[in-house]
Amino acid sequence: MDAVSALADPGPEAALARRIAEAAPGRAPDAEAALYRLLAPRARRYGLRHLRDSEAAADLMQHVMALTLERLRSGALREPERVLSFVLGVCRLTVMDLKRGERRREELLQRYADALPMADLHVAPRLDHEHVARCLERLAERERAVIVMSFYDEQPAETVGAQLGLSAGNVRVIRHRGIDKLRRCVNAGRSAA
Amino acid sequence: MSGPKGAPPSHPPHLPHLSLQALLDHWLGDSDAAATDAADEHLMRCDACGAALDELIALGDGVRAALRAGGLLVVTSGAFADGLARRGLRVREYSLPHNGSVNCTVAPGDEVLVSRLQAPLAGVQRLDIRMLDSMTPEQPREQHDVPFDAQRGEVVYLNPIDALRRLPAHSLEVTLLAVEPEGRRELGRYTFRHAPWPAGGAA
Repeated sequence: MDAVSALADPGPEAALARRIAEAAPGRAPDAEAALYRLLAPRARRYGLRHLRDSEAAADLMQHVMALTLERLRSGALREPERVLSFVLGVCRLTVMDLKRGERRREELLQRYADALPMADLHVAPRLDHEHVARCLERLAERERAVIVMSFYDEQPAETVGAQLGLSAGNVRVIRHRGIDKLRRCVNAGRSAA
Repeated sequence: MSGPKGAPPSHPPHLPHLSLQALLDHWLGDSDAAATDAADEHLMRCDACGAALDELIALGDGVRAALRAGGLLVVTSGAFADGLARRGLRVREYSLPHNGSVNCTVAPGDEVLVSRLQAPLAGVQRLDIRMLDSMTPEQPREQHDVPFDAQRGEVVYLNPIDALRRLPAHSLEVTLLAVEPEGRRELGRYTFRHAPWPAGGAA
């Protein structure tokens, strides 16, 4: 699980991991909560990207964080400063297991669920779909078509292009332009609200 | 960008952020295995890029919600429309032959209204759509440079079903226009004769 050398740079995660590892088990609750708040959203994003399911991603996040904290508390994670590598490695292995059907989602939480600190996470607020619709209406026809078809099913450019008679490269250009406009419009509306 | 509450921000100063294009490619599956791994590693330590990805994910959720709410007029593909029905949405579809017409309505439980227009699209480089309804005949609406697949010979679009559901009986004339160097050439004209769903009628 330590294959990711680029993640070995010391950062706030490493400092927090060292505090947890150096304390008696369970005696660094502030550090545990802070590490959870830092890493849990990243594990969740990994799950969203690779599992395409928000509940599965949330389960992955809980499993990964519980396992990480348990390993830090017990001293089993011998290089706490490599905690990012450990977390990414657990994410990858768990997603592979889930995709192979070797691990069921329900199993993820069974062993370590009680070990998680209580920590509130920032979750991006849901957007007002009527405002998003108004912003979509302002896009050029091709941009709107490509954005809707790309994001509704989270489809790659080649799939969308094949359906619209466009090249994948063209779809990527239209998609980039469209999402940039959409993002600006939505953010402008949120700022004005 | 500040870090989560109780912890300092996490992003090494020497690490360049992922571009919007890279994030889009990562999220929508357009990056190869090496680029995907690199993006995963970056996102595991960069909260600014994580927040940008969260923003894209939220936009995607908003796009899905807007489509499901029936507020969009959007040209799409037959395959995409077929997929909506497979995913359990209640889809009402009207498929018109070249220059055809149809009596149409929207049932209370309908979630998506699809129009398919057969047309001779071979050789067409650019396509516009003009829509003229009988309630506001002086106000034609135009969609410019719409995407289409000439090989399939049809133009497919999703209607703003939520607004249509509330409209009285009327007709809508849809004209497909090929845009050519000499000007626009009419490719086909289609008529939808809309009637509201009868009060108390079963869907």
